[in-house]
Amino acid sequence: MNFDLSEEQQMLADAVGKLFEAHARDVDVDPGLKWIGYLELGLLGRPFAEEQGGFGGGQEDIMLVMEAYGRTLGTAPYLQSVLMAGRLLALAGGTAATEALSGLLDGSQKYALCLFEPDSRYRWDKPMTKAERSDTGWTLSGEKCAVLNADAETTLICPATTPEGLRLFLIPPGTSGVSLRERPTPDGRVAADIVLDGVEIPETAAIGDPADNGELVVEVVDGAILACCSEAIGAMEKLLALTVEYLGTRNQFGTAIGSFQVLQHRAADMLIALEQARSITIHAISMMDAPPAQRHIAVAAAKALANRTSRFVGSQAIQLHGGMGLASEYPAGRYFQRLTVLETLFGDSNHHLTEMEKGGGLAAALIRPNRPNRVRSCPAPA
Amino acid sequence: MELAFSEDESRFRAEVREYLLSNVPENIRQAVYEERPLPREWQVESQQVLNRAGYAVPHWPVEWGGRDWSAVKRAILVQEIDQNSIPRPLPFNTALVGPVVAAFGTEEQKHRFLGPVANLDIWFCQGFSEPNAGSDLASLKTSAVREGDQYRVNGQKIWTTAAHKADWIFCLVRTAQCERKQQGISFLLIDLATPGITIRPIPTIDGFHHVNEVYFDDVLVPNENLVGEEGRGWDYAKYLLGQERTALGNIGFSQRRLDRVRALAGERSGEAGPLIDDPAFRRRLSWSEIELKALEITQMRVVASAGNPAGGADPKTSILKIKGSEILQDAAELLLDALGPEALTAGFGNPLPNDDSQGLDAHSSILSAYFTSRKYSIFGGSNEIQRNILAKAVLGLGSKR
Repeated sequence: MNFDLSEEQQMLADAVGKLFEAHARDVDVDPGLKWIGYLELGLLGRPFAEEQGGFGGGQEDIMLVMEAYGRTLGTAPYLQSVLMAGRLLALAGGTAATEALSGLLDGSQKYALCLFEPDSRYRWDKPMTKAERSDTGWTLSGEKCAVLNADAETTLICPATTPEGLRLFLIPPGTSGVSLRERPTPDGRVAADIVLDGVEIPETAAIGDPADNGELVVEVVDGAILACCSEAIGAMEKLLALTVEYLGTRNQFGTAIGSFQVLQHRAADMLIALEQARSITIHAISMMDAPPAQRHIAVAAAKALANRTSRFVGSQAIQLHGGMGLASEYPAGRYFQRLTVLETLFGDSNHHLTEMEKGGGLAAALIRPNRPNRVRSCPAPA
Repeated sequence: MELAFSEDESRFRAEVREYLLSNVPENIRQAVYEERPLPREWQVESQQVLNRAGYAVPHWPVEWGGRDWSAVKRAILVQEIDQNSIPRPLPFNTALVGPVVAAFGTEEQKHRFLGPVANLDIWFCQGFSEPNAGSDLASLKTSAVREGDQYRVNGQKIWTTAAHKADWIFCLVRTAQCERKQQGISFLLIDLATPGITIRPIPTIDGFHHVNEVYFDDVLVPNENLVGEEGRGWDYAKYLLGQERTALGNIGFSQRRLDRVRALAGERSGEAGPLIDDPAFRRRLSWSEIELKALEITQMRVVASAGNPAGGADPKTSILKIKGSEILQDAAELLLDALGPEALTAGFGNPLPNDDSQGLDAHSSILSAYFTSRKYSIFGGSNEIQRNILAKAVLGLGSKR
């Protein structure tokens, strides 16, 4: 076991940190230009195998990227386009998916996986959206909701139920019958509710195999959940630092309020919770190559604790900031908003505890794989 | 970054487990599993089994029986010892007095004590706390006045675990009154057979005898039993805090308790059905499992971090102390709830003469474990003190109370 960053990982962390901090400062810069920054740093290809045109980075690399993203409250569609849609395309394979992936890797296309549906909470394995055979391919009808970063330029990947099982359909922007209502999320991003009304899809746009698609989606979502955990850890790290800074500079009763023991202990509890959330996330990352059932339990455990910690650290940061914590122009509140969005994405704590318990609990996931060191190559960071 | 155990580490774990399970007698392991008080000779037998394999004092200097194992391996060793219901090497010997003598003792002291301390041929207890010196340990008053080639010791120590089983006590004593209370404290080894020492049991809410008061009434101690320099005892006590940290999280111990919770809650098949099927109970167990798995990694992160300041304590160890004690306490609550009313009439607090288990059986020991677990958030620096350390040393918050 060794928790120190390798030289290469340190370089990645530094480069990503620099880029994301610049993005956070330049609020008016066009999002398209920021996305080119991701491309130039090799982030778009990071999680994909070299034979697919990527750089073969593992979940540790994603952890470093997403922690930096969380610290800087990033808004680019990295989670959605690369870690969800992109990874699903890579796993599905086949002509259409491979072509779509190359559009992602060269920065020309963005994708969104439409996971959630109204009234379905976190049950994405059996969508209410239906696909029926038509003369030329398929006809899709149904509703999707809270599709992060989906806008009029985005190619959608829509899971739909068919008699043969779960199918995944690529829907290019501007397809007739698709109506998309974009809404701002509380954390400065956008998400869309989408209605599919008799959308005609050619046969070639169905990717993957209905026999495997369900498992592919679970694998992709497990990875995305861990990315969210890492993002939350980055956000909490920064939020705790902001809070400690505030405690040291805010004077009341003739002294810095950080000299009061009751507030010191609250901050200590936030630190403890944060380090525990980081540790359970590290554990789940180490289980990413374990058999799917064990991996899934470890990921569920990580999300359950990251959620609880996000709510504790977030709400206590607001409390310790007093009224300032509620002011939108002060950053603390924005971090709390981001943490709340992350908590809601992919399932609350109860959902994940249930997933964990269905699999027999953490005791059932004790077997740890011994993984060889990965050999990676990637472009030198700019 | 290598987030999983390496092959070498996994092989080490398997070797340790194999050795422990085939060399420590089943009756001893059963008593540890049930958390019954251990007779002294079982503790000694078990530590000698560990010592033969280098498992009792691996963190000591190699010339005194230590092994040059990584901190991760040592943490694996402690976890296996606890998880497999093996009595831990006596911490007063192996984690406290041994390292101080090895670092600051004279050659003669090292030769005289280190071997027997590692092998538990000499049993040490710890004389730090006093009635008015708990969290504020430096306020201690027990005095040692130099008279020629010996010290005259007067005063009282309290909460002395296993003093009634011990042969020796290592004490912090005041040898001078100085401006700062941390100065003028010395580290003294005292043979408990010396005239003038009285040991009185302190009855505790957990129903068995483990802590004591130790009184010193004109006790004469040879000067050669002073460890290091006179007046520098506080530095040595602080040195101890920076020492072996692989056991602080109590990972294997909590794992053992949670395994037992699962067993107890799963096996009971009366009218009420197995408690494990109760969703609310199951959820509490799930949270404990998650916190424990997280702490296992936190423990490894603390011990494996390359950037540890030499000699000084990593203030993040306070996280291990706080979380480790809370999880142990949660596990004890789950155990008690799993047993239910049967705990109440199972013999608690009815020690029979010459009964090594002091009247505790597999059931009543659960109630005892529940009560005694309150101590984990108190001793060794209460959890409130640990939070002070985190706030000040890690977060850099101000010092006013």
